[in-house]
Amino acid sequence: MDATDLARVAVFAGIVAVLGLPGGFSVFGAVPITAQTLGVMLAGAILGPWLGALSMTALLTLVAAGLPLLAGGRGGATVFIGPTGGFALGWILGAFVIGLIVHAGARKPVWWRTLLGIVVGGIGAVYAIGIPVQSAVTHLPLGSTALQSLVFVPGDLIKAVIATLVVRTLVRAYPRAFRREWARTSRRRSEGARSQAVGSRPVGSGR
Amino acid sequence: MVTLYRPGSSLWHLLATGRKALVLAALVLAISLLPQAWGRPTATIPAALCLACYAVPGIGLRVLLGQLVAMRWILIVTAVGQLIFLGPGPALVNTTRIAALISIAALLALTTRTTDLLDAMERGLSPLSRLRIDPQRVALLLAVTLNTVPALTRAAGQVREAQRARSARPSLRRFAVPFLILALKHADELGEALTARGVR
Repeated sequence: MDATDLARVAVFAGIVAVLGLPGGFSVFGAVPITAQTLGVMLAGAILGPWLGALSMTALLTLVAAGLPLLAGGRGGATVFIGPTGGFALGWILGAFVIGLIVHAGARKPVWWRTLLGIVVGGIGAVYAIGIPVQSAVTHLPLGSTALQSLVFVPGDLIKAVIATLVVRTLVRAYPRAFRREWARTSRRRSEGARSQAVGSRPVGSGR
Repeated sequence: MVTLYRPGSSLWHLLATGRKALVLAALVLAISLLPQAWGRPTATIPAALCLACYAVPGIGLRVLLGQLVAMRWILIVTAVGQLIFLGPGPALVNTTRIAALISIAALLALTTRTTDLLDAMERGLSPLSRLRIDPQRVALLLAVTLNTVPALTRAAGQVREAQRARSARPSLRRFAVPFLILALKHADELGEALTARGVR
């Protein structure tokens, strides 16, 4: 991990924090349905498994140290003890799984693999940790807890679709976001094409 | 950055960070292990403990009320789920127990400076250095992360204002791409600045 990776890990932790700030997109009346999980999905999809998971770990460490960086200004070790603690901890595994699937084989992300990775990691893995923890804390049976969690699935699916669209746009328009081998080659190619176009323009054709 | 810490000189403030964390963790564990079969007492014991923890001079029950208001959504969602699946009796018992649990755990961040907590964590995690994790690098990552928040908040504001100026309706999708590109450019600059200062 070089300094640029360190900065990118820090920035994605910051992105998740900023997406949880008030004045965001807390719609559905006053119930805070936040965009933070969108940030988790993007962290895994853009940074890849290891750096994505590291980024979430850094964020949650700061939260545990008492910084109110989770949606609704929540923070402190108490976040991990309450019923939603498992969902926050699940972000680490979630980002990791997303990164694994989206960047499988170090190939350029295609839309279906991106969507698959984000749904499996960003929803599946996060719920897989969140629901058992919630069930243990609330003494509500596992099945009922899972049933209750279904309420949040539509919102998370919308976020998964948005994240997929955002990743697709970045792959096309800003491949250096991914800092991967394929991004480097595609950039070289497009730069080559541009220099050719500049070179072929007749001298003095401008105003 | 505003933290959850409230300055004061209560008993909790005076307790050393590590010891305080242990005491609170023990309380949380004890409450979690109360047998469900006891019925009412599994709610009244945590509630009494919680009140006792906050009744210490220098904190007060007003702070406890603030905590409960801050976590109202979690409590409401929990209570609704319990009401639907378990009925009113268990719902009351479990929601009270959870409210007490979260409030007691919240005392750690309320009465300890963030820097003290980070120091305590660093000490607690020192065995990690055996796994070849450099504590200095961890500290650097956390410091850089903290510093990105104001810059990214500004970037988010810029994107929102630019879209409002073009009378675009606020949409998460249209917000995300320009915000991410600004954030990634910030990351590149940050990386260069770190490299220039000799961070590898």
